[in-house]
Amino acid sequence: MSKDNRKHNLRKNFIRPISNEKWQPITIPLVSIFISFIAAAIVILIIGKNPFQAFYNLLQGAGIMPKPSYAGYKGMLTDFLSLLNAMTPLVFASLAVAVALKAGLFNIGVSGQMLVSGFLATIIVGYSGLDAIIAKPLVLVIGIAAGGLMGGLVGWLKYKFNINEVVSTIMLNYIAQYVISFFIQMYYIDPISRQSKYIEEAARLTLVNVEIANLKMDIPLGFILAIFTAIFLKFVMDKTVVGFEIKAVGKNRNAAKYAGIHVGRNTVLAMMISGGLAGLAGVTYYLGYFSSIQPKVLSSIGFDSIAVSLLGNSHPIGVIFSSFLVSIIDQGSTYMSSQAGIRQEISSVIIGLILLFSACGEYLKQKVSRLKEKDLDQKKGES
Amino acid sequence: MSDYIIEMKNITKRFPGIVANDDVSIRIKKGEIFALLGENGAGKSTLMSILGGMYEPDEGEVYIRGEKVQISSPTHAAKLNIGMVHQHFKLVSDYTITENIILGVEPIKKFAGLFPYVDIRNANRKIEELSKNFGLEVDPTKKISDLTVSMQQRVEILKVLYREAEILIFDEPTAVLTPQETDFLLGIIDGLRNGGKTIILITHKLDEIKKIADRCAVLNKGKLVEVLDVKETSTKKMAQLMVGREVNLESDKAPAVFKEEVLKVEHLTVKNEDGFEVVKDVSFTIKSGEIFAIAGVADNGQVEIADAIAGLTKVSGGRIFLNGMDITNESIRKRTEYGISYIPEDRQSFGLVLDFDISTNLALKQYYREPFARKGILNKEEFEQVGTKLIDKYDIRSGQGIKTQVRSMSGGNQQKTIIAREIELQSPLMIFVQPTRGVDIGAIENIHKMMIQERDQGKAILLVSLELEEIMNVADTIGVIYNGQLQKIASSESLTTNEVGEYMMGAKHEQR
Repeated sequence: MSKDNRKHNLRKNFIRPISNEKWQPITIPLVSIFISFIAAAIVILIIGKNPFQAFYNLLQGAGIMPKPSYAGYKGMLTDFLSLLNAMTPLVFASLAVAVALKAGLFNIGVSGQMLVSGFLATIIVGYSGLDAIIAKPLVLVIGIAAGGLMGGLVGWLKYKFNINEVVSTIMLNYIAQYVISFFIQMYYIDPISRQSKYIEEAARLTLVNVEIANLKMDIPLGFILAIFTAIFLKFVMDKTVVGFEIKAVGKNRNAAKYAGIHVGRNTVLAMMISGGLAGLAGVTYYLGYFSSIQPKVLSSIGFDSIAVSLLGNSHPIGVIFSSFLVSIIDQGSTYMSSQAGIRQEISSVIIGLILLFSACGEYLKQKVSRLKEKDLDQKKGES
Repeated sequence: MSDYIIEMKNITKRFPGIVANDDVSIRIKKGEIFALLGENGAGKSTLMSILGGMYEPDEGEVYIRGEKVQISSPTHAAKLNIGMVHQHFKLVSDYTITENIILGVEPIKKFAGLFPYVDIRNANRKIEELSKNFGLEVDPTKKISDLTVSMQQRVEILKVLYREAEILIFDEPTAVLTPQETDFLLGIIDGLRNGGKTIILITHKLDEIKKIADRCAVLNKGKLVEVLDVKETSTKKMAQLMVGREVNLESDKAPAVFKEEVLKVEHLTVKNEDGFEVVKDVSFTIKSGEIFAIAGVADNGQVEIADAIAGLTKVSGGRIFLNGMDITNESIRKRTEYGISYIPEDRQSFGLVLDFDISTNLALKQYYREPFARKGILNKEEFEQVGTKLIDKYDIRSGQGIKTQVRSMSGGNQQKTIIAREIELQSPLMIFVQPTRGVDIGAIENIHKMMIQERDQGKAILLVSLELEEIMNVADTIGVIYNGQLQKIASSESLTTNEVGEYMMGAKHEQR
């Protein structure tokens, strides 16, 4: 009896924090993250290191917590800004995935769209010698246009020929990867770095080595844009006719058609918006975080963004937080490995665990509602 | 005592916020057809789920063959020879009938005394025998995906028979069937009874009960109202007990006053995806103040006519005029704006976005224009205000008001949501396709009343229904369709039910 009771109470206490349905979109990812950190801690314990130390090192490396010592011209703020710099493309890419998901589409082609827009912006603006005031906005415009066109193509193929977007985006990824690598190696290669030639500073979306208060910092201009874009997207999705139609198409194509919504047009539009965001991810990555393109390689951001978007519930604001978390682990890993002697790969394990557990969010939600039902039944039985 | 194979005593089952069964006691004799009658949400299904092992009662006892039992799972129920034929079939479409039936209870043999294998041949023979014995007419080697709905249902019946069920529970078995198939099924059920099985029939169709049931328990709001001897009770009395008030099955309506022509369909031809003509050269007109009903057996082209008028299907020949304007090639949105309301057959996959809340679904056809939106920006307050007004006006019941997800609502309330939205469009032409399918008798009465009310206000109404009774009741003009062609158009007074039936079967022809 008492054992049963204790078990029951334990269960009740466990579900209490996530039982409120109104807060579930926030609480469930938090619980998922918490569980994944416990799992990660176990992994770190197994290899014989102190997990708290490791997590603290992660935060230090990402510029959230101060390191005991810094090299010249470096400080906590420098680290934090490079965190934001790395995070910017991830936010855009995850927003791209989230918008497509709202329309019931799965954009796996973010990496390819990033590469195409990054490459076009590089060759059109990167070597042009234009002034920063013209060059930087132009880079953004080219990014949006190139990505948007490529996404729009995918949407059009789906609408016109009913080609599954998963297939077409994967194929376009390959085409982008090898065609662009051909052009880079033929015309734009830097013989020493074996990458495309570095772009001019004027075209770069991150201000590099800016000296403020005796610190040399990288200032990611794109980050501010990313935050505004997320807020703007939330507005579009919740409050506008365009967002309403995209969501209706995503939830039920038949009913959307029946209600007089042009399903094909909205499919193309959603993919264009998604592609445009991927384009922004591309220019902030190849012309911001980096300043050149490595041939024959697709950025992993395009794929990480799928999971990051899911972790953020495909919600524009949620995506900011999930990108932040994943970037912290990513950025902090170098410092963690040098300080705690834990291999850098462990950080990938942690990210993997988080994403794995976040994918279990739906399961948690069901489990909770079932436990709640049982609880109610029991209460009725007692009274 | 042992007269009764099933006894359920003082069963009470509560769910959060609702008492599904309140102190219900029933006793069922061996070898009878016992019907459970009640509106949606009256507690029929819950009661049978207790018998089928899906739920455990909060209070009360169950006796099977005189022995007290606690049925803890469907497997346990099967051990007690209780089998349930569900409303929604649970079949693997890529498997053959036999494979589906033996799933979970595969007869295993050993090859050379060593290698186990499933003895399909023997199973086939056994199933064929069962099928023959009960007149089910099923070929066990066919794949499920090649079967009609009524055939699939027979497979479900075979499934429980194969598991040696003595007590068969049918959950709304005729909801998905055409009139002919229904008759066939009722014949099968009768045969099962004569073969010594005990049948429990959950339904809200009175004529079926009248036709085959021996006794009938009426449930209302979770309580047992009465157990009736079917032979000695009129259908009207049953309906009254079920709804808990006087029901008017025959809708009384004022004589129709036809005014100007609203819809004109000329030589309409529609092809399906395979290029096959499903609607062939159909012409008719509907006037303001007229209910025009298309009668016919399912899948004879009537839904395609409705879809073509609403713009969901492309027209391959002919013209459609609304108030004299050619709308044959207009978009769906334009047609809605010009004045077409459409209550589609499949409310869950066409009529509603199930993951949206009520207020959003109520605005699904007007969200983009004032007052719901201005310059592309939605006005959420307007959604809420209109939603609140409409759920009150049309008595749409839901757990959390306008914020309720439509997915969680009952079929009847989902239908009310669609009808409310479509009536509020104030369109001169309203198309109703199977508006009363799967809704309970109280709601049916209500829907008929609303249709007649709209007619009296000068709407032109196109009704597509498989229920002949409904058509005879409501329609002013009847068009009978067979194989994509209108066989006959005449006023409802000039036709008898029998005549309509003959045209429906293509038995009678009229040269036009």
